[in-house]
Amino acid sequence: MSPEKLRIMVLDDEPIVCKRLKPALEKLGYEVDAFTQSPEAMHQIQRISYDIVITDLKMKEIDGMQVLSEAKKRHPGTEVIVITGFATMETAKQSLQMGVFDFIAKPFKLSEIQEVVNRAAAKIRGSKP
Amino acid sequence: MKLVKPGSDLVGFPELFEQFQILLEDHQQVMELIADLGEKSGGEFIFDRKYLADTLNEMQNLILRMVKGVNLISSNRYLDLYSSIDRIFIPIEAELRGRLNLSRDMPYVVSLEEATPDRPELLGGKANSLTIIMQNLSLPVPPGFVITTRAWRRFLEDNHLEERIHGWLEAWAAGERDETESARQLQYSILAGVVPTEVAGEIRRHAEKGGGAWAVRSSAYGEDGEITFAGLHQSYLNVPPRGLLEAFKQVLASLFAPEALVYRQAMRMLGEEAAMAVLVQEMVASQVSGVVHTMDVSGLEPDCLVVYASWGLGRTVVEGSGGVDRYVVERDSPYRLRRQEIARKETLTRAAAGGGEEVAPVSGDAQEQASLSEETLQTLVHWALTLERYFKRPQEIEWALDESGHCWLLQSRGLQISKTISPAEQDICETCAGYPILIEKTGVVVHAGVGSGPVCMVQDDEGMNRFPEGAVLVAKYTAPWLARIVPKAAAIVAERGSAAGHLATIAREFRVPALVGVERASEILTEGMKVTVDTKQRIIYAGRVKELLQFELIQAMAFEDAPEFRLLRRLLTRIAPLYLTDPQEPDFTPEGCRTVHDVIRFIHEKAVAELMDLPRFVKRFKGVQIWTLVSDIPLGLKVIDLGGGVEAEIHGSKLFPEQIRSLPLKALWEGLSEPGVWSTEPVPVDFKGMMASLTKTVAATPGAAPAAGFNLAVINETYLNLHLHLGYHFNLIDARMDPEPHRNHIYFRFVGGVTDLTRRSRRSQFLAKVLSQYHFKVDTKGDLVVAKVLHLPPEDVKERLKILGRLIGFTRQLDIQLRHDDDIPEYAEAFLQQMLRSEPPDTGGKYESGEA
Repeated sequence: MSPEKLRIMVLDDEPIVCKRLKPALEKLGYEVDAFTQSPEAMHQIQRISYDIVITDLKMKEIDGMQVLSEAKKRHPGTEVIVITGFATMETAKQSLQMGVFDFIAKPFKLSEIQEVVNRAAAKIRGSKP
Repeated sequence: MKLVKPGSDLVGFPELFEQFQILLEDHQQVMELIADLGEKSGGEFIFDRKYLADTLNEMQNLILRMVKGVNLISSNRYLDLYSSIDRIFIPIEAELRGRLNLSRDMPYVVSLEEATPDRPELLGGKANSLTIIMQNLSLPVPPGFVITTRAWRRFLEDNHLEERIHGWLEAWAAGERDETESARQLQYSILAGVVPTEVAGEIRRHAEKGGGAWAVRSSAYGEDGEITFAGLHQSYLNVPPRGLLEAFKQVLASLFAPEALVYRQAMRMLGEEAAMAVLVQEMVASQVSGVVHTMDVSGLEPDCLVVYASWGLGRTVVEGSGGVDRYVVERDSPYRLRRQEIARKETLTRAAAGGGEEVAPVSGDAQEQASLSEETLQTLVHWALTLERYFKRPQEIEWALDESGHCWLLQSRGLQISKTISPAEQDICETCAGYPILIEKTGVVVHAGVGSGPVCMVQDDEGMNRFPEGAVLVAKYTAPWLARIVPKAAAIVAERGSAAGHLATIAREFRVPALVGVERASEILTEGMKVTVDTKQRIIYAGRVKELLQFELIQAMAFEDAPEFRLLRRLLTRIAPLYLTDPQEPDFTPEGCRTVHDVIRFIHEKAVAELMDLPRFVKRFKGVQIWTLVSDIPLGLKVIDLGGGVEAEIHGSKLFPEQIRSLPLKALWEGLSEPGVWSTEPVPVDFKGMMASLTKTVAATPGAAPAAGFNLAVINETYLNLHLHLGYHFNLIDARMDPEPHRNHIYFRFVGGVTDLTRRSRRSQFLAKVLSQYHFKVDTKGDLVVAKVLHLPPEDVKERLKILGRLIGFTRQLDIQLRHDDDIPEYAEAFLQQMLRSEPPDTGGKYESGEA
């Protein structure tokens, strides 16, 4: 295990998603901050650079695409994983062109997202000197 | 829709054919949606309310189409199904909108046995937990009833209190009044209120069912959940029936006691609507009572649970008003008593003669005596660990021992573990990495969670009887007969099986972490070996990973308690259970449909029956190709092909077995036509007579569908619906054999016979015994056998269909031969032996190699 833990932000306005993802990712050895309010998360992104940002696309106030571009602007090395509902699948595909690492459709399995996160982590660790 | 008088006109074959096809597809899809929802309740998936709403919407559309279809086929014979759908879906929609507890259908008072669990907003936290404990865990809870939050709302409405309460609370929050004054005003207004006549009437009606005195306790919404109001609200013990209404109001008023107000403000819950349900239970005249903490709150002995006990009623322990014995017991089997501290107990609380409680002195000898026997202590430890395993959080349990020596469970709620004594922010990932991993990243998650214990392999009844509490069940298959031991298991690991089968449902009901499809599990996990199963990560560790178990226990919330999961479980009670199993029962009607599953089962049965309706059949199928299967076996089977079920180029009306393309029919026929299957045992009826009885058209055997006296198979490439009349038996097999396991099922129904009911019942016991061996879920009732198996890979479906084929041959005249109950195991053994001779048993070599 790497001595330096990767930092992950989870952002979804459904509290259940945050409540489930945080401990599941912590168990994999990540440091996790979870948010249900996108403005709050946006504020946090401007202060801290996260290695991985997992965000829902469709949210009240600031939507996932904005979070994505802000995260990429602040810290190009951040890998963004987008969570989508069935209805937002098209937007999700567009997000791929904006440098999204991967997207995952609701409802999803814990093991699926863990696998995507591990892949993103491997990419980050691989690119670090 | 055009209303046609039932039976007036027949739909032509092409349309019927098309409708039947669509109906089968829709039936299949609804079954898959039901299975999906079931799987989602296991915790492996992350979903939201929208998913639930979308799925239910899709399900409703499919069912509406099925209702339309079956009515088209049957000339509108089942229009009542539209009201069945309303009856089932209107409450479902209300649930999805989160409106149900405001609805007028909710009761003011409900008994604990009859209350629907997972409804804390109606029952309050405490009563909701007790309902679950009583109904799911079957622990002894004193009988009683709940005066629901709906009664509370009605009380507020009738006394015009809502606005006033709101005003006083605002004034207090704004600092205009202090809490003592606010509390006094709020409480006074409630105590001065009048209990609405309907509510009072309901309370009286329920109170009449019990005798003697009552314990009246608060059950506030939010209490005992993530936030505990332990001890903030009032309880009244030994209340005589005439005092119930007053005690009810007293408990309601305690919602606004000064301490409760301050606490709610500190927890930032003031803005939320407070709601109080009241729990009324028969009083336990306790000689000893106390509390169990499943974890040591001092943090000194993290591997132990602590039992507190004292003489008399519980107040002594709960309020710490006298000497209390303390027992420290290890959490791990064999639950050794590590230490006992016997206190000097000078006083006790007891029920006072005219109602209420009083403090009395303890007689000399008893003062120094231990209040608990070893046996009671073990019972309490066992309950405590069961409760913790179920609720997934450390528990604080109140219990009582009555004068005749019976233990009662009074309540169980989450135990608050102070953050400071939780293990230091350890890195759970690194700690776990220190334990050897036995199995990793294989299998399908049935229920998410972590459980630890010794491995116990179960292969038969005997194995089930010796299955110890808290062991890890390892099995080759998720056989439905294992259900009995699920509540005792710390975790379940199976080599094969489905996340949608019966056993999976039971595992979720009891919240037992379970993993299926774990190849070679029974080789790697050996008997007695201690393991920790983490199905959230799909990892099985060697040994007891204490840190991981602790990590799971101190999480903020068990997923099972999240509102989405509660909602899903409530929805599932209106969707998944099948109550209509027997088409011959009087309630097999549209009105009798209680769930979505019932509706589709009903429609499927009736659609098939419509095809089988002989007088119509002849008329309807004029000009339709019906094959007659030609073989040595004199079945006279008629075959209707819906597509791809027979070879393309066949001339005439004769069909030979080798021309069958339908996979399930082919498999069944393979079993039936094996040498010796059709007539192995000599039956004491002469050959001619037997043949006659075999091919005879039965007019109306009791229990058989009337006027359906011929053998018919409706098939396509992957589907088989087979109706057989053999002798006097009526046999139905409905099966699908698709490359995709989750689409597959076998449904088997067998009823009737020529001999007396006792003998026929023996036959059904024989069938049940054999079919259970092949992992069917079997229900028998008299001479009726209903068996089903779901979601198996095609090769397993094939194997079972072959067995059914042989069973058809074997059981033709079996009831004549089964003269004694003792014959049943013998014949079952004979049959299974015959199976063994012809091929390796299903749990044998072919699975052990695994398939990568």
